Amino acid sequence: MVLTGSVRMSDSGHTRRRVLGASGALAGLVTLSGCGLFDDDPEPAPAPDALQPLLDEALTLAAAHTRVALAQPALAAKLTPLAEAHRAHAVELARVIGTTLPSGGAAPSAATTGADTAAALRKSEQAAQKTAAAACRSAPAERAALVGSIAAARASHAEALR
Amino acid sequence: MKEQLAGALAAEEAAIWAYGLIGVHLREGSEQNQARAAEDEHRVRRDDLVDRLARLQASTAPTPAGYELPFPVEDRASALKLAVQIEDGVGQAWRVVLPVTENADRTEALSALTDAAVRATKWRKLAKITPLTLIFPGRPTA
Repeated sequence: MVLTGSVRMSDSGHTRRRVLGASGALAGLVTLSGCGLFDDDPEPAPAPDALQPLLDEALTLAAAHTRVALAQPALAAKLTPLAEAHRAHAVELARVIGTTLPSGGAAPSAATTGADTAAALRKSEQAAQKTAAAACRSAPAERAALVGSIAAARASHAEALR
Repeated sequence: MKEQLAGALAAEEAAIWAYGLIGVHLREGSEQNQARAAEDEHRVRRDDLVDRLARLQASTAPTPAGYELPFPVEDRASALKLAVQIEDGVGQAWRVVLPVTENADRTEALSALTDAAVRATKWRKLAKITPLTLIFPGRPTA
């Protein structure tokens, strides 16, 4: 079911990141409607890696920091290292997952949610920290340290933005 | 796991010792309060580790009689620098606990790593050290 849903997502031209950003209810609808209609799908995409949401989030955050830094040059010195950290996280996650990053990185136009302010970025970092902490708890041993560092980094970003 | 927990204990002991030295060089008020609060958090983690290691019936190395400072600490700037270094070291000691623990124990280790990273950022802010954060807190730099 989930697999069929993800095939439909790619058919509809949305990136997975955008769909993940949408509400869970919407994703559920897509999945439901997919069940009957696409039973004959020959090769459903493999289930996404458990760390894929973390990778998507890192790219979205990197883009958000970059966007705000461009819009508010006074914040650039603070935000640019945070954007770079998220990109470094994405590179490591992609290596562990065994995937490649989207070429050109996330477009700065990606997923605008809420106001582009330092306070909004801080909220995003806090939410992303929770995602990473949950992923760390359920990660196999060989991934726990990397994911733990990413969770701690996101918490420290939120502190840096205070 | 005992070995990693013993490493975390050694780091917490060192942090408690260091904060005794750091506090006196900081400004009275919020800075010294921040150092005191940090020291208290390290004491709680130290006590918890002592209990856990006792339950695991692990022998732990005695606290060394003395520590060697990485650099002289004689003013506010060097005290803040030491605080950053101490928290980064505590983070490293806890990060290696993550792969050898599960469930609540791993959650606890992650809290310790996260708290250390956040405290290090607070000290970097006061010291005006940039960037304010490490890319991978707890990952050995060398």
